[in-house]
Amino acid sequence: MAAKTRYFVLTAAGILTAGLTTGLVASYMGGLPVALSHQAGPDDLAFVPPDAIAVGYANVQEVMASELRQRLRRLQDANPDSPDRHDFEEKTGVNVERDIDAVVGALLPAATGARDGNPLVLARGRFDQVRIEGMARDHGGEVSDYEGVRVIAHTGDEKTMALGFLAPGVVAVGSIESVKGAIDAKRSGRNVMSNTEIMRLVGELDGNNAWAVGRFDAMASTTGLPGDLQQKMPTLSWFSAAGHLNGGITGTFKAEAKDDEAAKNLRDMMRGVVAMVRLQSDSKPEMRAFVDSLQLGGEGKTVAVGFSVPAEMFDALEKMHEARRPAEVR
Amino acid sequence: MSEPAARPAPLSTAAAARRVFELSFGEMLWSRRTIFMALVVGGPVLLAIIFRIVEAFGAPALRVNGARVAGGSVFGVMIWMLYIRFIVPVLGLFYGTALMADEVEDRTLTYLFTRPIPRGAVLLGKYLAYLACTSLVVLPSVMLTYFLTVPFAQVASTFRSLVLDLALLGAGLAVYGAVFAFVGARLKRPLVSGLVFAFGWEQLALALPGYLRQFTVAHHLQSLVPHTMPADSTLSAIQGLFRQTTSVPGALAALGLLLVVFLWLAMRTVARREYVLEQ
Repeated sequence: MAAKTRYFVLTAAGILTAGLTTGLVASYMGGLPVALSHQAGPDDLAFVPPDAIAVGYANVQEVMASELRQRLRRLQDANPDSPDRHDFEEKTGVNVERDIDAVVGALLPAATGARDGNPLVLARGRFDQVRIEGMARDHGGEVSDYEGVRVIAHTGDEKTMALGFLAPGVVAVGSIESVKGAIDAKRSGRNVMSNTEIMRLVGELDGNNAWAVGRFDAMASTTGLPGDLQQKMPTLSWFSAAGHLNGGITGTFKAEAKDDEAAKNLRDMMRGVVAMVRLQSDSKPEMRAFVDSLQLGGEGKTVAVGFSVPAEMFDALEKMHEARRPAEVR
Repeated sequence: MSEPAARPAPLSTAAAARRVFELSFGEMLWSRRTIFMALVVGGPVLLAIIFRIVEAFGAPALRVNGARVAGGSVFGVMIWMLYIRFIVPVLGLFYGTALMADEVEDRTLTYLFTRPIPRGAVLLGKYLAYLACTSLVVLPSVMLTYFLTVPFAQVASTFRSLVLDLALLGAGLAVYGAVFAFVGARLKRPLVSGLVFAFGWEQLALALPGYLRQFTVAHHLQSLVPHTMPADSTLSAIQGLFRQTTSVPGALAALGLLLVVFLWLAMRTVARREYVLEQ
């Protein structure tokens, strides 16, 4: 074999070997070492316990500043029947648009003997701790100390809800168990960031200003989905949904089936549904842009559907809404 | 009186194929045809580099109807549209049909046929050289494209698909190579016939409902692809509508059968056919 042929073979084999080795290491370790791969997701995931069933995130500032939100706000202002948005601010002293930067939500497993999961909401922003504590006390809340963190608890008819000031600018709201779980997660360092399955899905959602990932089967049992629906979706294990709001909404919904065969069947079914919807969209031109944007994807065990709702579609819906309103309201 | 020199014992088919492979591999790798192959295979890598650079600046490199397309999906589309539907059949066609045709055209076939080796071994050796040559160019290109498009965070979850991609591209090169080696050995104008087969018959059969698709390589190969079939054109949308995938064992058995049958037919044709070299 000539020298140049030998070098060529060695180079090609080297690329293949290096790639396969990297992939094998990543598969074995559940991901590439941190040096090669940046930590996915917001820092506040450090407050979410490792056994979380689902995790979600919303960049409140981006969502509130989006054109879509401004458009919805104009519609809300124009509707005299809409609930007063200042009501929440008066009760809590928190203006969502001004005071909250981002929100992380999580659903934790139900306590022993309980049916529903424990919700946890972590808000990052600017909060007046003294005012919030005062308001909570006025409404029957009890302030206590847990692992050096101020926790305000309020016992209702069934559950004890709590609010904790976890760190400067970070507030946790949820059941007493979940707030204490958040404090423990941060203190012990055992948090959802060590959950490779969830973090793998979170890592795929970079660049979106709202997303959620979770275990479908566990969620179905803890959130009390109807039994029929649970039986019809027995093959799904994980899901992720991500959206980006600006003028319109772009988003993807991805689900992981138990095996390749189940995913292939689901993709085939979805392909048929999308084709059917496309055929139907001819009679509804206002839906055309949305229907055209539907993209079916996924590989192996995953099934993905991407969509885009352009700003023009909201214009059309706004006009339809205007046309349906009674003349005196207009 | 001196005894006549003993004639060397004829080599077995395997040993002869190995000799032909050693002779043909370097020749094939540095032929003008390889420039074409480098251009074809370099395309996806170049696209992946552009994708990576644009993504590195925080801009979405690819949007479909306003929706950002993730790196993993871009790689899946590249595997379907560039490798499975174009690169693999084209390389199989250009190299497979030329295995014997080049020797005829260069009038060097006589030198091979006058050696004490089975004629079929000439084709087998050249076929193995084709397989090694194309695999060593196509598979590293897929590997580079993968690591350029898929984010590091997704490597663990998509690595299995990559291994499947590599295996089925190798299988595709092997089967298409065998089919076109037979076409090259049997027909006078193999390139035209091959083009009609790969981009006429196969595309048509896949778009028709019924059993005709069973007589294509593409149907069995596409049944193994782990990525979702993109609906990039009317033809592929129709193909998607009528798509019926074979089970994995079924597809593997069909591909294996096609490989063995067409390679055997090609070897048999070369062994029996009288090649007339034009003066």
